[in-house]
Amino acid sequence: MTKEENKGAAEDQAQSKKALKKQQKEAEKAAKKAEKQAKLASEQQADEGEDFAKDRYGVPPMIQSQDKPERTLVRVKDLTAQKADETVWVRARIHTSRAKGKQCFLVLRQQQFNVQALVAVGDRASKQMVKFAANITKESIVDVEGVVRKVDQKIESCTQQDVELHIERIYVISAAEPRLPLQLEDAVRPEGEGEEEGRATVNQDTRLDNRVIDLRTATSQAVFGLQSGVCQLFRETLSKKGFVEIQTPKIISAASEGGANVFTVSYFKTSAYLAQSPQLYKQMCICADFEKVFCIGPVFRAEDSNTHRHLTEFVGLDIEMAFNYHYHEVVDEIADTLVQIFKGLQERFQTEIQTVCRQFPCEPFKFLEPTLRLEYREGVAMLREAGVEMGDEEDLSTPNEKLLGRLVKQKYDTDFYILDKYPLAVRPFYTMPDPQDPKYSNSYDMFMRGEEILSGAQRVHDAQLLTERAMHHGIDLEKIKAYIDSFRYGAPPHAGGGIGLERVTMLYLGLHNVRQTSMFPRDPKRLTP
Amino acid sequence: MAVEELCALEKCLGLKAGKYSSRAQGDRKIPVLQTNKGPSLVGLATIASHLVTEAKKEELLGASIEEKAIVQQWLEYRITRIDQVSSKEDVRNVLKDLNVYLEDKVYMAGKKITLADIIIYYGLHPIMADLTVQEKETCINVSRWFSHIQHYPGVRQHLPSLVFIKNRIYSNIH
Repeated sequence: MTKEENKGAAEDQAQSKKALKKQQKEAEKAAKKAEKQAKLASEQQADEGEDFAKDRYGVPPMIQSQDKPERTLVRVKDLTAQKADETVWVRARIHTSRAKGKQCFLVLRQQQFNVQALVAVGDRASKQMVKFAANITKESIVDVEGVVRKVDQKIESCTQQDVELHIERIYVISAAEPRLPLQLEDAVRPEGEGEEEGRATVNQDTRLDNRVIDLRTATSQAVFGLQSGVCQLFRETLSKKGFVEIQTPKIISAASEGGANVFTVSYFKTSAYLAQSPQLYKQMCICADFEKVFCIGPVFRAEDSNTHRHLTEFVGLDIEMAFNYHYHEVVDEIADTLVQIFKGLQERFQTEIQTVCRQFPCEPFKFLEPTLRLEYREGVAMLREAGVEMGDEEDLSTPNEKLLGRLVKQKYDTDFYILDKYPLAVRPFYTMPDPQDPKYSNSYDMFMRGEEILSGAQRVHDAQLLTERAMHHGIDLEKIKAYIDSFRYGAPPHAGGGIGLERVTMLYLGLHNVRQTSMFPRDPKRLTP
Repeated sequence: MAVEELCALEKCLGLKAGKYSSRAQGDRKIPVLQTNKGPSLVGLATIASHLVTEAKKEELLGASIEEKAIVQQWLEYRITRIDQVSSKEDVRNVLKDLNVYLEDKVYMAGKKITLADIIIYYGLHPIMADLTVQEKETCINVSRWFSHIQHYPGVRQHLPSLVFIKNRIYSNIH
């Protein structure tokens, strides 16, 4: 070893002593820090350590059809006492949620059915899981796995009253925004009840503006379930009777009833109209020997009426039929079709009827078999007896129409009747005049709960008489030439009528506004949604 | 209007026609009767009561002191309330009052017809004529009483008979 080296070593030693001290200090510091961290970590771990359930809840990646798991989802309506103690998967919306300490009660809703569910801290669910469940926004769609358990006391607020679901897993499939434009509980509150208790009700416009949410209510689900039933029964009954379903164009070149109230649309270099009834086409099908036809389709009326029962676009259920000798053959056929619909609704849609009745109480719909048929003059006589002053050939005003409905109900105990033989003066030009009395005509309206749902008549099937009638009404013959021409090559005597689907649904259920039975209603003030 | 109905009352009581004129008081017209003795009489209630006495049918003013008071009270009601209606709301309130009052009564006062029945009937006629069948059914007690009074011999005179349906046709509406 050289001196130099020695010296150097000594210096090194001195240095290293210093360094050692420093290092020691640093190490101590680090140790302290580590200790602190470890403590923190262990604390955290203690926290998280409890969360044995972290795989049992969460927000899985958006479903892009990446998997096709073999998982059976049970419908909420099938959760009954028979399923007790089974473990099931359910997909539903969070209807309401209420957290209470270590448990969280949820009401899960699927269409009009709902069931109570419970997440409680235990060996399947952790505190964090309960917290997670409680924080899921209302109306979010979730997948849950849980055990069905019988309950001792019926759960009055749910449709599934005998069971509840003890949740073991819960995953959010699609979250709803926390602020809803309307609350579902408010939207189903019976009329009047909310005002008394100072609770909110939802007005019509708010409902219609947020129709997607409004349609989720049990009442809306029932209304449109029943409406679908009306169409289904209409098709079923008429097909059985040998009618052919036809499709008619909705863009037409001339106003079909020769009058006002049609929407004009631009049609390339010219303009066209939206059909205000399939009348002409139904009649042309009769002239083409289809004998009995019906069609279901939209009809357009450019009437600026803002009433409870007018829409600018609605669904027409139209019937046209050739008859042998008397138009009553057709009237009976139409009336029977409606009676079959009413019966079918009663049999197949009792749940829906009762659901709607809970929110909008009303008397059950009554009808007679065979259907009551009154002549117009009898109706006028009944009204006069009740103190109404009106002329023989005057049309029924809306209040008189309703009053007559009440009088008929009182006298005959029916909500459905036919008023036959209207004055010729108040009917369109193509209506066949009465052979005995030229003041009257072979035309009829049908009423449900005092409101008109169908208007029909024997049509003039003779080109010459049709021309006379049109001229009498002051109609430009040029505009309806095509219509008149269809009767020039032999036309069977025929009659028919058109029913408004929304009105039938509304009146059957005793509702008070046609917008309640039109999914996305169109009126003079509403074009959206 | 008031003059017309006093003429009807005269006929109803079997009196000869008196000389009437009317005097404006504010925006209302008050009937005046020129009598043979003494000064002229002013006001519907005063004249009506006078006519009854003239016809020697004092029983129409009430049989007892209490009844007399009630008759006078309703004559006042006729002038201060029924003749003052200016809106649908007023009409509703008047009918509501009367409907409650008549619930357990056949006549306005006592057990026989009095001047109160006749005068209220005249005053109510234009209101009742305007009601719909449903509205008439809502104030069912008024309707029953009204129908009874208008059929009471001699009361109706020139006024058209109003129709009331015997059966309730809106009873099952909630």
